[in-house]
Amino acid sequence: MTALLTTSVGSFPKPEYLTRARTKHSKGELSEEGLRRLEEKATLEWIRFQEEIGIDILVDGEQYRGDMATYFAENLEGTEISGLVRSYGNRFYKKPIIVDELRLRGPISVDWFKFAQGQTTRPVKGMITGPYTMMDWSFDEYYGSRADACLAFAKLLHQEAVALEGAGAKVVQVDEPALSARFDELPLLVKAVGIVTKGLKAKTVLHTCYGNYNEIFEYFNQLPVDQLDLEMSNSGLDLLDRFKREPLTKEIAFGVIDVHSHVIEPESLIRQRIEKALTIFAPPKLYIDPDCGLKTRSVDEAQAKLRNMTEATRAVRKTHGLS
Amino acid sequence: MVRTTVVGTYPRIGDSFEEQALRRGIARLDRGEANEAELRAATRETVRAVLGEQNGAGIDLVTDGQIAWYDSQSHFAGKLTSIDINGLVRYFDTNTYYRQPVVRGPVSWKGPLLLDEWKFAQSISEAPVKAVLTGPVTLASLALDKHYPSRKALAFDLATAIGEEVGVLVQGGATQIQIDEPILTRHPEELPLVAETLERIRSSKASATLTLFTYFGDVGTIYEDLLEVPADLFGLDLVQGAATWPAVLKHGSAKPLVLGLIDARNTKEEDPAAVAKKVLELDGAVDLKSSFLSPSNGLEFLPRDRARRKLRILRAAADAVGVGA
Repeated sequence: MTALLTTSVGSFPKPEYLTRARTKHSKGELSEEGLRRLEEKATLEWIRFQEEIGIDILVDGEQYRGDMATYFAENLEGTEISGLVRSYGNRFYKKPIIVDELRLRGPISVDWFKFAQGQTTRPVKGMITGPYTMMDWSFDEYYGSRADACLAFAKLLHQEAVALEGAGAKVVQVDEPALSARFDELPLLVKAVGIVTKGLKAKTVLHTCYGNYNEIFEYFNQLPVDQLDLEMSNSGLDLLDRFKREPLTKEIAFGVIDVHSHVIEPESLIRQRIEKALTIFAPPKLYIDPDCGLKTRSVDEAQAKLRNMTEATRAVRKTHGLS
Repeated sequence: MVRTTVVGTYPRIGDSFEEQALRRGIARLDRGEANEAELRAATRETVRAVLGEQNGAGIDLVTDGQIAWYDSQSHFAGKLTSIDINGLVRYFDTNTYYRQPVVRGPVSWKGPLLLDEWKFAQSISEAPVKAVLTGPVTLASLALDKHYPSRKALAFDLATAIGEEVGVLVQGGATQIQIDEPILTRHPEELPLVAETLERIRSSKASATLTLFTYFGDVGTIYEDLLEVPADLFGLDLVQGAATWPAVLKHGSAKPLVLGLIDARNTKEEDPAAVAKKVLELDGAVDLKSSFLSPSNGLEFLPRDRARRKLRILRAAADAVGVGA
């Protein structure tokens, strides 16, 4: 029985040479082609690393992206990118501004998906920032209604999802970190994600994190995807009891690594977390991954965390006689 | 005919090199290349610039932009007794985060927290500077309480601490005090607790004007009761909280209002004439001469250049109210 497959949420840290190259590129001191070569090099290194430690479903590591919303927005017609706004502390980011009707120029992430998938025989996830998060994290000077802007993103992102599937993606993940921003808008989110995933034959995944899960719990089974990818370790696996009482009908990708901590969780701790998950979820429906993207960690930290995750998963598989 | 004010926060960096001095200063401090005194100097230079932008736009009642605040919760709470500061938590429905205060014992005030910064801001501002504090019920609701038997008990001790701070601010010369209770837009049932805690704070304010501000949503269902709370002015988010507007139109207000009609969470620019027209719908129901027009909440959710434009729209809209009256 294939069980406890391992995967990742999306982003990995950029190696120092790529961070420096991005700075040079932004100052006009490095060409587009020069930057692209280094992004490909870093992507390839992460693909090889994931293969080496035995991850089952790979990601491209998003070495070519800055912010997850801005990356998609700057590849659409009808958007501008704002000046800096603060996220917290001394961290700032640029937000998309919708200034006209949103339109696709062409596929956005498909080229990178093809590059990554071309380097490995293992499946690589197609990754899309979801329509609700795109709307919630953008300023809107055109649509005038959150629902209209969200559904406009959804229609375009559906085309992107279809293009990813056409390029060979067996798994398409929709990232919705803003999912729990406004409880009263959950029906809108369900509708918008449904538009994105409509008719796809690929396995569909919805990732979310750092929200008030208890408030949104009742919507989990309504989300129009095959798998939920949830941050579980940052919140101390608090949600397990609720899943025991109200079973999830979908697959779950279960976060066993806290991505905001410098601490490298020992393999034994990760094994305990997986064992706890196994008390609630059937092995074929349980996937093992980090809580969220690892881009805020150093390369060494991220690799050490992922290594322990795969070793812990192998140990648990062996204990339970799973292949 | 209507005055102008801002709500509290203001973008602390812009896109030019000069406008990013504070960001560089904090990064240098983090790397051990600068000391606290140097960071304080960079902070004050930013406050000077932020006040310059508000004064330059002709805002009648300004703030220091809360430039020195890490966030709305930990800056004040972290300096009270028995409160530690924990990890990041999402702040309401915004894509911003605050460090969560963790209450481990009885909370009390140790000494002035905002006075020096308020005095500095007032010393360099042409317009009066409003002192802004997060309210006790919002602080109690967003903290992780490991000590008190109830949120009410924690809110009372926080209100006592805030009252002490208000007292020293007023003795130091502040004539305008604002207490922010955005939690009322999510939990209107907390209004009685807000009223009780405000009563404690009010006893320290002497002749200063006390504003209660709610934002990130509407207070339509409690509007009439809200006006009975012991404050002198009521600040309303009338953009995200547009559902409050019918209640304001219907019931008016015996006390002056701060009308948050300029969207502080979106870059789309309002037509000053349209805003003025809306304000004038309240003529006769609200004393507009004693009221203010303002953004819907702090301007920090906008990029700096857009915040500046919103200030100009705010001024133009208020001027248009005068013309239309």
